[in-house]
Amino acid sequence: MADSTAKSSRTRDLDKLLERRGPLVGANFLASSETISDIKEFLNVLVVGAGGLGCELLKDLALSGFQKLEVIDMDRIEVTNLNRQFLFRLEDVGKPKAEVAAKRVMERINGVEIRHHFCRIEDKPLEFYEKFNIIVLGLDSIEARSYINAVACGFLEYDSDDNPIEETMKAMVDGGTEGFKGHARVILPGLTPCFECTIWLFPPQVKFPLCTLAETPRTAAHCIEYAHLIKWDEVHSGKSFDPDNLDHMQWVYTEAAKRAELFGIQGVTYSLTQGVVKNIIPAIASTNAIISAACSLETLKIATGCSKLLSNYLTYNGVEGLHTKVTEFVRDKDCLVCGPGVLIELDASVTLKKFIDILKDHPKLFLTGVSITYRGKNLYMRAPPVLEEMTRPNLDIQLFELMDRTPKDIIHVTGAAGKGEKKQSCLRKLRVVFKGLDGVTDLDMAGGA
Amino acid sequence: MIKLFKVKEKQKELAENANGKPPVKKQSAGELRLHKDISELNLPKTCTIAFPNGKDDLMNFEVTIRPDEGYYLGGTFVFSFQISPIYPHEAPKVKCKTKVYHPNIDLEGNVCLNILREDWKPVLNINTIIYGLYHLFTEPNHEDPLNPDAAAVLRDNPKLFESNVRRAMAGGYVGQMFFPRCV
Amino acid sequence: MAEPKTKYDRQLRIWGEQGQAALERSSVCLLNCGPTGSETLKNLVLGGVGSITVVDGSKVEVGDLGNNFMVDESCVGQSKAKCVCSFLQELNDAVKAKFIEEYPQALIESNPSFFSQFTLVVATQLVEDSMVKLDRICRDANVALVFARSYGLTGFIRISVKEHTVIESKPDHFLDDLRLNNPWPELRSFADTIDLNTSDPVVHKHTPYVIILVKMAEEWAKSHGGCLPSTRDEKKQFKDLIKARMIAIDEDNYKEAMEASFKVFAPRGISSELEKIINDGSAEVGSSSSEFWVTVAALKDFIDNEGNGEAPLEGSIPDMTSSTELYVNLQKIYQAKAVADFIAMEQKVRHILKIIGRDPYSISNAYIKSFCKSARKLRVCRYRPIEDEFNTPVQAELQKCLTDEDYSYAAGFYILLRAADRFAANYNSFPGEFEGGMDEDISRLKSIAVGLLSDLGCNGSSLIEDLINEMCRYGAAELHAVAALIGGIASQEVIKLITRQFVPMSGTFIFNGIDHKSQLLLL
Repeated sequence: MADSTAKSSRTRDLDKLLERRGPLVGANFLASSETISDIKEFLNVLVVGAGGLGCELLKDLALSGFQKLEVIDMDRIEVTNLNRQFLFRLEDVGKPKAEVAAKRVMERINGVEIRHHFCRIEDKPLEFYEKFNIIVLGLDSIEARSYINAVACGFLEYDSDDNPIEETMKAMVDGGTEGFKGHARVILPGLTPCFECTIWLFPPQVKFPLCTLAETPRTAAHCIEYAHLIKWDEVHSGKSFDPDNLDHMQWVYTEAAKRAELFGIQGVTYSLTQGVVKNIIPAIASTNAIISAACSLETLKIATGCSKLLSNYLTYNGVEGLHTKVTEFVRDKDCLVCGPGVLIELDASVTLKKFIDILKDHPKLFLTGVSITYRGKNLYMRAPPVLEEMTRPNLDIQLFELMDRTPKDIIHVTGAAGKGEKKQSCLRKLRVVFKGLDGVTDLDMAGGA
Repeated sequence: MIKLFKVKEKQKELAENANGKPPVKKQSAGELRLHKDISELNLPKTCTIAFPNGKDDLMNFEVTIRPDEGYYLGGTFVFSFQISPIYPHEAPKVKCKTKVYHPNIDLEGNVCLNILREDWKPVLNINTIIYGLYHLFTEPNHEDPLNPDAAAVLRDNPKLFESNVRRAMAGGYVGQMFFPRCV
Repeated sequence: MAEPKTKYDRQLRIWGEQGQAALERSSVCLLNCGPTGSETLKNLVLGGVGSITVVDGSKVEVGDLGNNFMVDESCVGQSKAKCVCSFLQELNDAVKAKFIEEYPQALIESNPSFFSQFTLVVATQLVEDSMVKLDRICRDANVALVFARSYGLTGFIRISVKEHTVIESKPDHFLDDLRLNNPWPELRSFADTIDLNTSDPVVHKHTPYVIILVKMAEEWAKSHGGCLPSTRDEKKQFKDLIKARMIAIDEDNYKEAMEASFKVFAPRGISSELEKIINDGSAEVGSSSSEFWVTVAALKDFIDNEGNGEAPLEGSIPDMTSSTELYVNLQKIYQAKAVADFIAMEQKVRHILKIIGRDPYSISNAYIKSFCKSARKLRVCRYRPIEDEFNTPVQAELQKCLTDEDYSYAAGFYILLRAADRFAANYNSFPGEFEGGMDEDISRLKSIAVGLLSDLGCNGSSLIEDLINEMCRYGAAELHAVAALIGGIASQEVIKLITRQFVPMSGTFIFNGIDHKSQLLLL
């Protein structure tokens, strides 16, 4: 009898993990047969990127109980994707990745719904991101990670004791690969380090000195970068270089080859030219599969608590043997992106000038020489003179007005903090809350303080 | 997490944000750091800064340098700065918009300054770069040339270099190349 | 339009045309095509292996739809091998895909010679008994074997092959081969043509650090009885001497020289790893020796004679601050020496081949060249027979891992995975596989695991109790995410084995899906 029930369930294997109690599970785990339908009803999961990691993530998540997903990607399918992005076929080249990936997974797995978004992540309004509880990142750029991280952390709220309010937390699971190496990490904003807390983990890209390119080239890459960065502008005045234009790439290759010949340098090939100019990161199916699988497993754990969480950064290296390592990075307490900032309660009548005075005497700040920015608007700049002049009129306006009558929000200030000899230049995040506003109930207080 | 949202669902009416959030614009970590850099600028008298897109776009600005000594005394040189959202992880992109006869600046406006490329570090800031640029005018060097002709002249015949600079700045030809007036 | 070269561009940048050609020549056999096996093959098919043969005797059940992407609704009731095979074929039409509808354990019993046709066998979800038998078969046939198993939130990967030799191990960090502490005559005389005290500041700041260090090391040796800096003080002194030569603060070449000065202090001669290889028993070559070992024998001879204790020169130099001319000339000097070393090696190889009664030209120049270029990075990997590991694991290591904080979960899972197979052999199902009787299964599994530990000479009480419960909770579930991860690693190891590039894993990799503190156990 047991035999026949096991065989009839599509989630035969997953059920064991989700329906049985265990000693090594997360604090919020509830062994239940409803978990999979609950995931579908209550959790919104976004996959960012439908490339090497994204294709794997969609498959892995769809087969890990996530029947409702969304995916966003701005790219179209290229031939060079086909060695790893297994949801795409030769005849798909040129089509949007997000669309084809979503379609293929839905075709194969009954009951799975995937909404796709063929656009840049920046094109979506912030409200788009608001509904997601977990964001899984399959990206290859620091910029995009940093952007999503800032968006996700932007929704995080803290209570009056500086504890993160759980309901506002958008968990992120991030993967990345390069050749035989990769990483997977779990970011619980407010609890574990966010992307910005540990941005130093990503080494800055190597850039050759321009004068080396111009005068003392030594390597094939130098010749290529000369053609790309210097010669192109010299010859094509005004026309910008497009790395996806084959004629442009061919031109750079030819010029680089000529230059290499001139200087007796070996090794300029078309393939290397593409690699250098587009900063191509080698990529293979296996590493993407490993990292995506680790990310999907962690996503399942965040959603259900069915096991402990990765805490909080896994590296994988298969170059020399096989090495995996878990590192527990720590948060940057003063992180501008995920940190709580300093809570300041104000009267709605406070002018910007008065506010600046308050900061001077605030026991957690003692901030002088202050400049203030609010959601991209510079409210006051103490320097340079040109900006000081432009922002000076704001000083007599109420901060509440300058903040578009928002009852509570984040602002950022720079200045010199501390007292006497210990004064230090700093950039701080402040949580401003206006008190005693007529007719405005502070809704968020229901959840937090 | 599901447990949390299952409970939350029951109080959904509460979550409806009647008040509405402001039309939010998110600031990148790069913008914030730049805000700090700009608000702490301490420029020499010879340098000014301008924000063509107004006070709320700090990511694109122009720096004007008017050297008060050296070969380039009296000239006015404009540099455009473009800042990445992941600044200071990535160096600003700086170009010289004034066509200049200079060993370390080419005719397309590329600048050979180590801290703009190979030696950029996140601890550096906009002030450092502006000082670096200013330095290029007071002490052009022929050892790291981007305009090899100018560098050769500076090395072999400083007098001629000086007069070439004068001629270029006044608006005129140096060899085959015309330079618009910038004094 | 989609010529294979373009399709494979991103991987050709890793393993090159040679590696790709090796993949395309290979034939891979998969045993059992559940998600672990299917995912392993998926990654190999995408990469372009020559042919695949899927062996599985089961029919697709509804439960398979929930963990295997390669089967769908329409497959239920059909041969799993057939369905998986046809999906895999869709991924890459350059791959020859075949399937055999037969249970692997039956095939192992009935037709051992079947396996000798393959380059490599990937055996997934096999129990202990079949693993041992298959291992014997593949070893005898000299077919590489990779075991992979997913089990709840754990699993393992184990390579089994008598010997795997690697020339292009391509390590990430490896000291460049500059010979600053032991320059050959041509490098020395090139350095002699350069004056560090030049008055031209442009020349001064464009003298490559290799030259600076060769000259300064020579200077130092002259005034120190032929010795190079060895004590901490001396090393500091040496760096200070370099610093004192700077004539401007922005001389990057001198900064590079200071940073690279440790290359002058490094010991001469070959590494202990290479020493071990040239002294390996297999380097005593005979008529049936492999290309690799014949060339190692030549290498040993080279090191003892022409090399003066050094391996053939790699022949490339890293980028460094320099004028183009000096850099290019320096590069030529390194290349010329590498060519000379290659010629010496080639002669030795031909000579040895002749002595052992083989065609002196049976080893290609390309092979010898590649060997010379990577001579310092050669790797020899040997794997114990599975049977030996199962019967007599390195007991001290196992006991240590069981009680070590970082290893205890992995070691515990290792024991429990094996105990689960014994459980299955006794009770015809895995612990917790079916609903009901969980408590009984837990106590049965525990007593089997304790028994196994004592058979292996370890202390039975060192097993973590929670893991036993956890293992029964898993009930032999093959979760897709875990299978994709294990399959991903297995495919990566397969690629390393087939391309003979990079270094395959050693030991048994135990996946720990609880907190990802997975480990390699060297048993």
